[in-house]
Amino acid sequence: MTSTVSASGLSLHYGRTRALDDVSLRLTPGVTGLLGPNGAGKTTLLRVLATAVPADRGAFTVLGHDPGTSRGRQEVRRRLGYLPQTPGFHPDFTAFEFVDYVAILKELADRRERHREVRRVLEEVDLADVRGRRIKKLSGGMRQRVALAAALVGDPGFLVLDEPTVGLDPEQRMRFRELIAGAGEGRTVLLSTHQTEDVAMLCHRVIVMADGAVRFEGTPAELTARAAGRVWSSTEKDPGAKAGWRTGTGSFRNVGDPPPGAEPAEPTLEDGYLLVLDDADTEVAA
Amino acid sequence: MELVGPLWRTLPWRPLAAAGALGLLVVGTPAATGAEPAPWQTLLLLRGAALAGALGLAFLLDDPARHLTGPVPTPRLLRQALRVALVAPLAALWWTAVLLLVPSASRPPAGEVSLEAVTAGAFALAAAALAVRLTDEARPGPLVAAALLVAAVLVPLLAPEDWALFVQADDPRWPAAHERWAVLAAALTAAAAGCGPEPLGRRAGR
Repeated sequence: MTSTVSASGLSLHYGRTRALDDVSLRLTPGVTGLLGPNGAGKTTLLRVLATAVPADRGAFTVLGHDPGTSRGRQEVRRRLGYLPQTPGFHPDFTAFEFVDYVAILKELADRRERHREVRRVLEEVDLADVRGRRIKKLSGGMRQRVALAAALVGDPGFLVLDEPTVGLDPEQRMRFRELIAGAGEGRTVLLSTHQTEDVAMLCHRVIVMADGAVRFEGTPAELTARAAGRVWSSTEKDPGAKAGWRTGTGSFRNVGDPPPGAEPAEPTLEDGYLLVLDDADTEVAA
Repeated sequence: MELVGPLWRTLPWRPLAAAGALGLLVVGTPAATGAEPAPWQTLLLLRGAALAGALGLAFLLDDPARHLTGPVPTPRLLRQALRVALVAPLAALWWTAVLLLVPSASRPPAGEVSLEAVTAGAFALAAAALAVRLTDEARPGPLVAAALLVAAVLVPLLAPEDWALFVQADDPRWPAAHERWAVLAAALTAAAAGCGPEPLGRRAGR
């Protein structure tokens, strides 16, 4: 499949801190999950790809446009939807007014068409009934959906979502999954999350980052396969395991290099993710 | 300009109104109490009012939705310039009221003292634009206001005698001081405008 976003050698430092280290990637239409621990560089990568902050080195293109030039950045921003980790709102605006404001900033000039588009995205995120309510009167989940509507307005070809399900209850998270899955139809979505279930359920590709670098890039099935033969059950916690915990059934689930004769267990995407991170730690230590 | 309406509503009206009220209170006190201030006292009151107004402008570029509305095709410089343009007529009206509130008998030359007020405002805007450019703060206003207060205290204390800015109207250095105020105002305005465009590369920007 042709890549819509491609980056090579992206690096960025904040003082002496290396936030991005030679990151190269290719994204294709559909939802790509971005996993990594806190401080891995996920948000920095998203901010660079969203043209919110320039990289020190490296280059990338979005839908054929190079944001390294003034005109190119303008073109990228015309095709971009960005939901930051902490969106922030003007609380006295209604949901409709706020999304309309963002639509104006996105150069949707014709008022009638713009209002139609704002109504469409508010309907898409299931906020049509409260579009006239002030943002300060909305719940956290609703505000998050207002931010998603603002990102979706103008039908962007590239959608960047930074931990959109943080702080949402399970029902809201489920609703958000539906919205993101819908948003991923026909456009490129990069979804940063700590929720491996979100990635397993939504994403056709997954990228794992640690210490500012890409440690894995592939399908969720390939990430899960990383843990094949490296997950086992035992009655006691195995001291040789990289990670191990008591499950609801009382047995221990261990991840790492199993001892001979261990009882294998079905690996999950989370197991694969933990092992990729562990391999990254070992690499850094070496 | 469809942007004017919503942008007007995003302006930080509370700090602007508080600063405006404080400035009017400062210069209105002698009239309210029936006191007749000396020219040097009137100048001090006007400078106090100008500082209060500048403190309000320190909040002008605060935008709680900054991170959500940052990467949009409408350039940041345009959005910032529009904020300034929306507030400028009100600031001019406010300053006129400030000048009219002080007793005319002791009022210093209006043009020169207005230049001082414009420079203080330009300082606040340049500092706010710099804070927006260099930090991720959505509300850099308090930080900028603090920097402005520190500058207001330190500049009169530390400025060398030959570079004196805060002189009295009957001081022979008054004209030269206001040439310096004019240069400063121009430099700060250029600095504020220079901070507006978003850098394409880090070397160019930070």
